Amino acid sequence: MNTKIKVRVSNLVKNFGDNKVLKGINMEVHDNEVVVVIGPSGSGKSTFLRNLNRLEAPTSGSIVIDDMDIADPKTDINKVRENIGMVFQHFNLFSNLSVSENVMLAPVELKKRTKTEAAKQAHDLLNMVGLDSKFNATVQSLSGGQQQRVAIARALAMNPNVMLFDEPTSALDPEMVGDVLAVMKQLAKQGMTMIVVTHEMGFAKEVADRVVFVDDGNIQEQGTPDEMFNHPQNPHLQDFLDKVLNV
Amino acid sequence: MKRHFVSVVSGLAVLIAMFVTFGLGATPAKATTTYQVATDSTFPPFEFANSHNKYVGIDIDLLHAIAKDQGFKVNIKPTSFNSAIQSVQSGQMDGVIAGMSITKEREATFDFSKPYFMSGVVMAAKPNGKITKLSQLRGKRVAVKTGTSGAQYAQSIHKEYGFKIVTFDESNDMYQDVLTGNSAACFEDSPVMRYAVRQGTKLKIYTKPTLNGPYGFAVKKGHNQKLLRMFNNGLADLKSNGEYARITRHYLGAKGSSDTTSDRTFLGLLKQNKGALLSGFEQTVWLTVVAIFFATLFGVIVGLLGVVPNKFFNGLSTTLIYIFRGLPLLVLALFIYTGIPSLTGSKIPAFVAGTITLMFNEGAYIAAFVKGGINAVDDGQMEAARSLGLPFGKAMRRVILPQGIRIMIPSFINQFIITLKDTSILSIIGIIELTQTGKIIIARNLEGFKVWTIIAIIYLIVITLLTWLSNWVERRIRL
Ligand SMILES: Nc1ncnc2c1ncn2[C@@H]1O[C@H](COP(=O)(O)OP(=O)(O)OP(=O)(O)O)[C@@H](O)[C@H]1O
Ligand SMILES: [Mg+2]
Repeated sequence: MNTKIKVRVSNLVKNFGDNKVLKGINMEVHDNEVVVVIGPSGSGKSTFLRNLNRLEAPTSGSIVIDDMDIADPKTDINKVRENIGMVFQHFNLFSNLSVSENVMLAPVELKKRTKTEAAKQAHDLLNMVGLDSKFNATVQSLSGGQQQRVAIARALAMNPNVMLFDEPTSALDPEMVGDVLAVMKQLAKQGMTMIVVTHEMGFAKEVADRVVFVDDGNIQEQGTPDEMFNHPQNPHLQDFLDKVLNV
Repeated sequence: MKRHFVSVVSGLAVLIAMFVTFGLGATPAKATTTYQVATDSTFPPFEFANSHNKYVGIDIDLLHAIAKDQGFKVNIKPTSFNSAIQSVQSGQMDGVIAGMSITKEREATFDFSKPYFMSGVVMAAKPNGKITKLSQLRGKRVAVKTGTSGAQYAQSIHKEYGFKIVTFDESNDMYQDVLTGNSAACFEDSPVMRYAVRQGTKLKIYTKPTLNGPYGFAVKKGHNQKLLRMFNNGLADLKSNGEYARITRHYLGAKGSSDTTSDRTFLGLLKQNKGALLSGFEQTVWLTVVAIFFATLFGVIVGLLGVVPNKFFNGLSTTLIYIFRGLPLLVLALFIYTGIPSLTGSKIPAFVAGTITLMFNEGAYIAAFVKGGINAVDDGQMEAARSLGLPFGKAMRRVILPQGIRIMIPSFINQFIITLKDTSILSIIGIIELTQTGKIIIARNLEGFKVWTIIAIIYLIVITLLTWLSNWVERRIRL
């Protein structure tokens, strides 16, 4: 594995008032690495991801992505965000825009591309997620699974070098989950650096280079999928796996 | 880039502020010889609009004759008696001639001319003879017009005679209250009452003029002394050359100058008052359009200030909305038109004051729903936009506002209609819009029911048109 460190999180603490959600997380993510974050509900997985692109401001600690310290006030957070794609549980497609406009908005607005270039790229990306036929469709006419695949295309349009996924399939009907996971697998294969919060243990086993178990605001255990799923050490992890695997 | 957005917003805020201060500070270039004189809009026979919508009456004719005699120009502006008085006190107007009695109290704040007319208060009641003297008023209601000597007279004797006073802004409303039997009688200046009776008001005068008081032309104490001198000189000239006698006889003589048009059907009234109604209608529409424009500008800016990530602007937005939504429109209008000028000493034209009033009041409501509309857009939309690297302003413009505006459209339409209706309240500061036009016509012909029906229908027609227009725009935007 490439040893270049893409994301370095040191001693990340996040409080919401008195609620201490993250209690000093340390984590490094290497180039091309796929990290799957698992853990019980309310353990702070979403909060962790949202700190990485500063949708939430850390209480303390440092986050360095591509050698840019995102906690530093001198860092232009908008520039950093252009390099970090994010996919949300509820898709959050722009409902006033068509499918292609969703994909083209940021590249055109941020002057990365002309309209024609952006349209060509949108075709390519929608092709990749299997939805080029929906180029001019409205967001409202898409199923959940289709919306999530457009959301992935939208995030990729800025050519990010890290992708964050926050439970991308949790809001989907079961028959739609596969299409979305397939796109994510393809991305992983292409070498995208990914941090994925998910309850899809099958995906973790197949795609993850490393699985991280978060509980009570800390990383309790991490390792390869084999170590984590077949030889869990921490009793909380064993409990958690019992629950998610035996449903 | 966030700074960029904020600076655009605050830039617009500065524009608004400039408009406001310009409005407040605007001192219309004072032509050396044209004096602005306020008068009452309905005080026949001293001032009233004749059937050609032209102001005539003893006061008007006298003042014009004096101006001609003395070689100055005068612009007589009809408004309500109260706001005529206030506009002189606040310096908005140079003088007031409005059948105004010279009293001790008024002399504290006004300098009066030599008396130009002697008047007295009479009591009028229904001609059925049930109420014929003051002693029969015990336990009854007596109607008076605000700020008149009739009102003063009523105040001075109501304990002694044990009656209750009800006040009106317009003479006709006062007569109407007696005619319907709500009030037993009214106190009115004798020439006014005589004129009204001759015009067909079914009331009878039962008492001799009392509290005989002189009418005077007035200026703010210590101001416009030259105008006052010219008035006195001119009055003396008119009295010696017979012009004064000619004018008073014209209005009070046996023949009088009564409104002889007798066609009192809806169509007849509409025909006679076509000009007045049309110009009132135009004023209402114009006021509505200008007010909507500035209220929308003000409202959108204040609304946006409420959602930018800046605590100071958020607080400012909340405060502005709180203040201007909290103030009754009427209070705000009077405050801006007469309150501020009496402090700063510079005049505000009524139309500008009216527009500013509506801008603040309607704008505050617009700001509230702009803020609400934006907040109603799912937070996930903003997060998704920001996560792509879009700055706050761009995310707002391209993603949040287009969705928010859809939510706001019905509220906008509603607010526009309310603005149109609220322009009628501005009749209080003397803007002769549709409602004020109605009052003036009724003052002359006393056809309250028919004229208000006509006015109501005109409002409904305009509101229907406005609704259609709004719905059409709404459909276009939704495409
Ligand atoms: N904006 C916020 N304000 C206050 N508290 C918050 C906020 N966001 C999250 N929290 C709290 O932080 C804790 C962790 O929430 P978080 O959403 O990160 O958990 P999670 O691990 O993603 O859970 P789930 O699996 O249910 O998505 C919860 O107690 C939540 O109530
Ligand atoms: Mg979560």
